[in-house]
This record gives sequence, structure tokens and C-alpha cells, in this order.
Amino acid sequence: MMNIKAFTLVCAVERELLVAGKECVSIECVECCGRDLYVGTNDGFIYHFLLEEKPVPTGTATFTATKQLHRHLGFKKPVNELRAASALNRLLVLCDNSITLANMLSLEPVPSGARIKGASTFALNENPVSGDPFCVEVCIIPVKRRTIQMFLVYEDRVQIVKEVSTPEQPLAVAVDGHFLCLALSTQYIILNYSSGVSQDLFPYCSEEKRPIVKRIGRQEFLLAGPGGLGMFATVAGISQRAPVHWSENVIGAAVSFPYVIALDDEFITVHSMLDQQQKQTLPFKEGHILQDFEGRVIVATSKGVYILVPLPLEKQIQDLLANRRVEEALVLAKGARRNIPKEKFQVMYRRILQQAGFIQFAQLQFLEAKELFRSGQLDVRELISLYPFLLPTSSSFTRSHPPLHEYADLNQLTQGDQEKMAKCKRFLMSYLNEVRSTEGANGYKEDIDTALLKLYAEANHDSLLDLLVTENFCLLTDSAVWLEKHKKYFALGLLYHYNNQDAAAVQLWVNIVNGDIQDSTRSDVYEYIVDFLTCCVDQELVWAHADWVLQRSEEVGVQVFTKRPLDEQQNSFKPDDIINCLKKYPKALVKYLEHLVMDKRLQKEEYHTHLALLYLEEVLRQRTPASSQGAETTETQAKLRHLLQKSDLYRVHFLIERIQGAGLPMERAILHGKLGEDDKALHILVHELKDFSAAEDYCLWCSEGRDPPRRQRLFHTLLAIYLRAGPSAHELTVAAVDLLNRHATEFDAAQVLQLLPDTWSVQLLCPFLTGAVRNSVHARRTMQVAVGLAKSENLIYTCDKMKLKRSSVRLSDKKLCQMCQNPFCEPVFVRYPNGGLVHTHCAASRHTNPSSPSPGART
Amino acid sequence: MRKPDGKIVLLGDMNVGKTSLLQRYMERRFPDTVSTVGGAFYLKQWRSYNISIWDTAGREQFHGLGSMYCRGAVAVILTYDVSHPQSLAELEDRFLGLTDTASKDCLFAIVGNKVDLTEEGAPEGREGEGCSPRQAGGGPTSPRVPKQVRLEDAMAFYKKILKYKTLDEKNVPAAEQMCFETSAKTGHNVDLLFETLFDMVVPMILRQRAEELSQTVDITSYKPPKRTRSGCCA
Repeated sequence: MMNIKAFTLVCAVERELLVAGKECVSIECVECCGRDLYVGTNDGFIYHFLLEEKPVPTGTATFTATKQLHRHLGFKKPVNELRAASALNRLLVLCDNSITLANMLSLEPVPSGARIKGASTFALNENPVSGDPFCVEVCIIPVKRRTIQMFLVYEDRVQIVKEVSTPEQPLAVAVDGHFLCLALSTQYIILNYSSGVSQDLFPYCSEEKRPIVKRIGRQEFLLAGPGGLGMFATVAGISQRAPVHWSENVIGAAVSFPYVIALDDEFITVHSMLDQQQKQTLPFKEGHILQDFEGRVIVATSKGVYILVPLPLEKQIQDLLANRRVEEALVLAKGARRNIPKEKFQVMYRRILQQAGFIQFAQLQFLEAKELFRSGQLDVRELISLYPFLLPTSSSFTRSHPPLHEYADLNQLTQGDQEKMAKCKRFLMSYLNEVRSTEGANGYKEDIDTALLKLYAEANHDSLLDLLVTENFCLLTDSAVWLEKHKKYFALGLLYHYNNQDAAAVQLWVNIVNGDIQDSTRSDVYEYIVDFLTCCVDQELVWAHADWVLQRSEEVGVQVFTKRPLDEQQNSFKPDDIINCLKKYPKALVKYLEHLVMDKRLQKEEYHTHLALLYLEEVLRQRTPASSQGAETTETQAKLRHLLQKSDLYRVHFLIERIQGAGLPMERAILHGKLGEDDKALHILVHELKDFSAAEDYCLWCSEGRDPPRRQRLFHTLLAIYLRAGPSAHELTVAAVDLLNRHATEFDAAQVLQLLPDTWSVQLLCPFLTGAVRNSVHARRTMQVAVGLAKSENLIYTCDKMKLKRSSVRLSDKKLCQMCQNPFCEPVFVRYPNGGLVHTHCAASRHTNPSSPSPGART
Repeated sequence: MRKPDGKIVLLGDMNVGKTSLLQRYMERRFPDTVSTVGGAFYLKQWRSYNISIWDTAGREQFHGLGSMYCRGAVAVILTYDVSHPQSLAELEDRFLGLTDTASKDCLFAIVGNKVDLTEEGAPEGREGEGCSPRQAGGGPTSPRVPKQVRLEDAMAFYKKILKYKTLDEKNVPAAEQMCFETSAKTGHNVDLLFETLFDMVVPMILRQRAEELSQTVDITSYKPPKRTRSGCCA
């Protein structure tokens, strides 16, 4: 069992002082009241000493006892018991089975001679019920009678108040309020002397061992139980604490919170009431008295008196902590709560929790440590300061004094063990990460975040970037030096950015891309820079790096201009400036113009023409080497055609000039189409390109969104071109048939039939004819339905009119206008559908004055 | 020290595994235990209530303490060893009498521990065959043996208790609910045992509190009796 030092044994009264020369004299009993110490001897003497405590700054107090008086009681009988009643200035002396009263100072018996006779032992009620300050309540156990008696003892008289019989002879007693805790010959009981109700506690054989009954606090007693148990029992007869385990031959017990002290032949043992563990053993031979007096514990042999001086709880706790006994220290500290003022306790307890936390930490018990740090509200900088160089140089932190632990730094704590060191660092990372978002971080967020940044950088931890791109309080100078040291240039750039130094940030990243400095954090720093500049509101910075990003990659670099967030695009960068800048970078320029024309749909001729021209140049550039006619259309060519078809803004004539003789018939056809020269365009398509499907397409896109007659005209034009060639051009004849059959609805069938050569069979044109007939029938029927509907509508109105005209309206003097209530003087009136009649002028005024009563809609 | 709201007491002969049951439940482990001296208790927070669970010493020497431990208990767990029929008999002979001091509506649970030692016992955790989970000072190591005490015996005993306490079967939980077979070694049924009891005990705590309230005397409304003049000073 691990020991702690809870008490020190110091001598109070040396044997020489007491029994000088008389070997046979021995101490029978002791009483201590404040500074007054009384000793009763076996030869009938009472000694009075004055105890003086000499506190020693370091270590245990010492006591000196000065003898005041001694008095012989008059007969050679031992003084069995002494009790002081300080309020009465009386000493109760049990000698020769009788209790007498003596003056506490003079030791003289009271003149009245008041006494209680026939008492074998007695106990004072420390929780009196009478409420009279000038008396004490005493319970005595009479000799040889199965009773107990309650007395009130005054200054110079005694008064019996109650006698209660007991089932067996009582041997020992303790009192609390109305409750007596009694050791009978075979058991312990609780007896309420006022009501007479008793309650058995547990059996006990008094013949084998002397019973012990000790009041330890309000309504609670400590009893010697079977098998060397120290049993706790309340006045209700229940046990609220687990028993402590003494030796079999305990002869006395006392309590000094939170300890139970027991005395046997050879030792004084100390148990904690908090965890029932034995905490200390002091060798002490021949002791026969152990008692506590208002918190002071006294032990005595027959020859000398000693005091068990408790060590201050804080000292005990510190000792426990020094021995790494965290659990016990915390139990003791918690147990001390009620003995220490709340404010003081909280400060102390927090400190103990923190210390305990560091002990666990040093043993790498991080979970426990974290919990202790948290509940102890540790200033997290205490922990950070253990790690060399983590606190910012500007931090004002100094460790608390006295120190919470014995370690200078982590190197000392881990004794250089790199693995342990790494574990500690990982712990700090996770701990700081948790703490930084809590209230505990208030006031030193800079220290925490800077330390965290350093840890992450050193450990090459992914969270470094997360830390820097979210809200943080990393100190710039300290962090920058550290990041440079660990070559975390990309992160350093983020730090600069967070501190509004974008130029420095971008320059740093550019250096990484250029290979001037090495940092492998990201492989796509270039793209990152582009993104960064794309979102950057600082125009100068964008312009400053525009050339650099475009030189590295035109296509990607141009995103700086094309992908800018919409809201700021309008008012800041001017397209002309950008185009000017992009002149050196044709690919980028194309991308940018595409962005303007396609994405932003800028309706500006310049851009459209410029883009078309760039496409054209590119197409021509691509064609020259191959120069094989009819090669696959390239991507650029497709884009060019698309632009030419869709846009109406470019300068068509200019482009036709450029395209002349370049061998781009399709493009030329489109341009002619744009000029409305359908004949020319279709001619190119049919005769130059012989691409009939392109010709059909032309008819379709050219008429898209226009009026239907234009489309019909286009198709007829195409048909005419096909037919003009005559039957010898077999290819075109087939194309004409296909065109008719495929687009039957686009033609005016009557016109077409006149154009067609007579030689063509009906079968050949079957789909066209079916379509045409169907179309015509459909049109006719639709018209018939429309006519029918119109007729029926007309009928309905005619019917309504008939109904209204059918009845006549009779005007007389009795008929009044509903609005002005005057009669009608002329045969002219207005009638509402509900039958109401009004003057014409009234009806007119009603419509100009909407607030007047409305008789209904006018017919 | 927090004052417990209710008390549960474990009773039973030595070596049946009271301490092991409690440690299995409270600490989730099955260490070697030494013979309990006197008694010990744990505080268990169950919902908003503190329940103290007392582990008592089975040794004859400490038998006399049982009554005091049981005083005011809201539930008593009577524990026997399924491989020792005598341990069930002891419950009736020696331990049932101790419960006289328990609260008047006290619940009784009958628990047959060490089912892991029997052939039909809980199958889990059979490693460590031969090192039986007996308390130190325990008997011989036992290989798997046929179960000596059947659950029906325990239920019969439960009904006997009701008769002894003159309780009506209708007013108390049924025997099937209150008889358990457990293994502190494997943890079989241990949580079920304690948590079933806790749930039953909470309404009793509430009832007791209500009764205490109704018994509280308001001392502020007390009026001293009129003094009659004593003869001598008249």
C-alpha cells in the first residue's frame, strides 16, 4: 500500500514533566480544550498544562506544554475520565465511579459538592438539544444496571432528566441530539432516549474485544465492528460509507477529516474516509489513548502525551501529485471542498487539476490529460510553452508560479525520445485545434493559432492550408519566419494573402512555379495563381502578372480575363485594353473574343468581325500546307461557319473579299446568304460543292426565325436550280425528287406541279404528293371547322339579342329612375339586365362617378 | 458526499461472485477479486438519480452487518452459484432474514451466477477454461459441470420469499422477471440484471420522496403550549 504523509507525531508532554521520579505512575486519561491540556493519572492526580504551538515555517509545528497546576483528588484511585465544559468553566472528573465537577483553572471541586454517583463511564452531548448555554448534557452508564441516564450539568449542580432501560448492560456510549449510540454486551444499537425507540445496528462480542463508539459528525458514528472493521452508522441505523479495515486489536479511534485514525498495540493507522484506503502507518508502541478534541488528535502512552499534527491538505495533495498519485490527490482535493472557503477552493482545485493534467501528460496519457486541462481551465499557453519555439516571440506569457510541473521543456520531459516527442506534438495539435474555437482561447488566440501553424508546418500536416484559408490569428512575422524555415512557401503565400499582402503572395507563388524556390505542397500552383488572379479585385496586380500567366499558357492564362466573377466584370476591365494586351497571344485572343461574342453576347461589330477574321486566318493557315481540296473540316472551320451563320454583326463584304479565291465555297455560300443572295449561295452549294444536303440545310438555317414565305421562296429557288439543269443532269434530278419528297410541306404544290417535267411518274413523287394532298385536305378541314365555329358563335349572339328584344317595357308615372328617383319624362331610358330602368343621363353620370350605387351591367 | 436516492444491496454466500458481478457492471471487467472485507459500495447515476449499490461480505464473520446494510434498501439482489445448490439454500437459511430491515416494498432479485461454468451456460468467452471465476480463497477449479441449480428452483424460492414477506404475487413483479442467470466472467445478463432493477427502483424512489414530503412537519407553524405557572415561583 502506498503511503502518504497525512500526520506527524510530535511530543506534547514529556514523561519527565509528569511523573518525575515516580515510576509506577501512569496516564489514565487526557482532555484537551483549546490550549488547556488536562491529564488524569492512575494515582488520583489531575495535571493542567498550557499547550503552546510553535509554527515552523517549513515543516511541522512543535508543541511545548507548560505545567500550570496539579491536584490530588483525595484518594488513591485512578482518574478514569476527564471532560471539560468550557462554557461552565468546569471539568467533569470520573473517579471511583463518581463524576465530580472541578474548576477548570484552579482544579478545585465546586463548593456545592454536586456529583453524579454510580457512573461507570459517560459522554457529553456535542449536539445538545436543551438550548440552554449554561448547562451541558451528559449521558452516563450506571454501574451494574441495565439503564442509561441523561443529566443536565450546571455550574454547581446536576439534574437527572431521563432514565432509559436497555436490553443489555451498556458498555460505551456516544451522543448526538436525542440519539445515543450504545455498545451493549452483544451488539450496537441506536437509542432515541426521548422516545425510547431503539434500533439494532449489528452484533458484536464485547467479551472478545472492547467496543468503540465514536461520534464523528452530525448524526454519524464510528464503531468497531467484527473482523477489525471500522463501521460507520447514522442515527437512522444505516451506513453511508463503506467500512475501513483496521487490525483486529484496535483500541481507540478518532477522526480528523478526511481521515479515520486508529490505534492498536504497535501502530497508529490512518484511513481515508473518502476511499477507505489505508494512507499512513505510524509505529507507536504501548499507546492506550487516542482521542480527538475539536480537530486536534492526541495519543498517549501511560507515560507521555503526543499530538498528531495534520499536514495541510494542500501539502498532502502536493505530495500525492509529486508521487504521480493523481487519482488520490483529486479525491482528497474534492473531499476537502467543504473544509475550504469556496473561492479559495476553486482556485486550489483548478490548480490541482492542472497539475494532475501535466502528470498525465508526462506519462503520455493524453486523454486523461486533456480532460484535466479542460476541467482545470488551463491557460493553454502553459502547455504550449513546454514546446520549444512554439510561442510567438512577442507573447507576453510567463509560466505560473509556483510552476505547475517540473519540466523545462519537451526535450527534458521526453528525454530526447523522438517518438514520444512526436506523440506529444500530435496531441498538442489536436488539443489546440479543439481549444481554438472555444471560449478558453479568448485573449490568446494569436498564441494558439501561431503555435498550431508551427506544429502543422513542421509536421507537414494538411491542415496547415485549412488553417490559413479560414479565419485565423496567426502572427505574421513569427509565422512567416517559421514557414520559410520549413520551406512552406505556398502556405506562406496564403499567410500573406490573409494579411492583405496579395502582391507578396503572388510573387512567392510565381517564384515556386519558376522553380526559384522549392515547395512541393501543390503541383498546380500555376493554376492556383490563375484562379487567384481571376478572383483578385486588384487590377494592377492582375495586369502585373498577365504577361507571365499568358506566357506560361495562353489558353489557361486567358482565364484571368474570361472567368472573372460577373459582378465586377462590367465596370473594371475594359475589353479593348484586354484585346490590346492579348495581341501578342493569338490563342488567348481568340479565346477572349469567343468569350465576348459567345458567352457575353456583346453586340459589337468589331469583335464579331475580328473573331471571324481570326478564325479565317487560322483556317487558311491550316489549309496551306495540306492544300488538298475537300479535306475534313477542322474544328476552327466549324467554329468559323457557326459564327458566320449565327452572327449578323460582322462585316460581310469585308469577309467576302478576304475569302475570295481562298477555296472556301461553303463559307462563301454562307456569306452570300447573309447578303440575301440566295441564288448565288445555292448555286455555289449545288454546282461548286455538289453538296445537296448542305443546300437543304442552307434553306433551313437561312429562313430560321423568318417569315414562312421566305422559306418557301428558298425551297422553290433550290428546286428551280435543280430543274434548270434539265433531265440530262441525272444527279440533280434525283436531288430534286429527294428535296420534294423530304420537304413536301415547304412547297406550294400547285406551283411545283406546273414546274415538273411530264415524264416523271406519280410513283416517283408519291411521298411529295401524299404530303401535299394531305396538307391541302388538312387545311380545308381546318377552315371548315373554323367556319362552323364562327357560325355557331354568331347564332348564340343572335339568340341573346332576340331574348332581350322579346318583351316590352312600359313607362308610366309610377316608374321612377332607380338612380335619381324621378319619373321619366321622355320615352328614352337605359335598361340594365336585371330590369332596372334609369335615365340616360343618370346612366352616363354613373359611369363617370363610380361611387354611386350600381344596378348592374348596362345592356 | 452526494446522498444516494436509493440503495440496492447484494447478498449471498461467500464465493458466489457478488463483487465480480458488481465490478463487471461498474467497471466492465472481470479481475481476480479478494474476499470482501466488511462491505463496499458504488454510486451509480441512473437518469437523474444516484443509486448506491452495496457489495457485502459473504463470510460468516461479517454476517451480522447485513441487517444494517439492508436497512432502507429499495432492492436486494440475492445471489447464488448455479453450480452449488447449497448457496441457494443458504440464501433462505441465512440471508433472507437480513432483509427484514429493508424498505417495506423492497424488490427482490434472485441471481444465479457463474452460468459460464455449466454445460448449458452462456457460450461466450470460454477461453481460460479451468481458471474459474471464483473469488480468492475459492474452491477447487471446476471443469464444466451439469448445472446444479435450475432456474425453476430460483423461481420457487422467489415465491417463497413473497410468502415469507406476506406479499401478494399480484402486487410485485413476477418471478420470471426477477430471476436471472448471469455470468460475471462473460458479462452474460449482467447489464440486464442491474438495469432492470434500476428501472424498477426509480418509481419507488419517487414514491418514497412523496411520502417523506407528506411527513415533513412545518416547524414554523408550531405554537408553544401555554405556560402554566409553576408552583414554586408563584
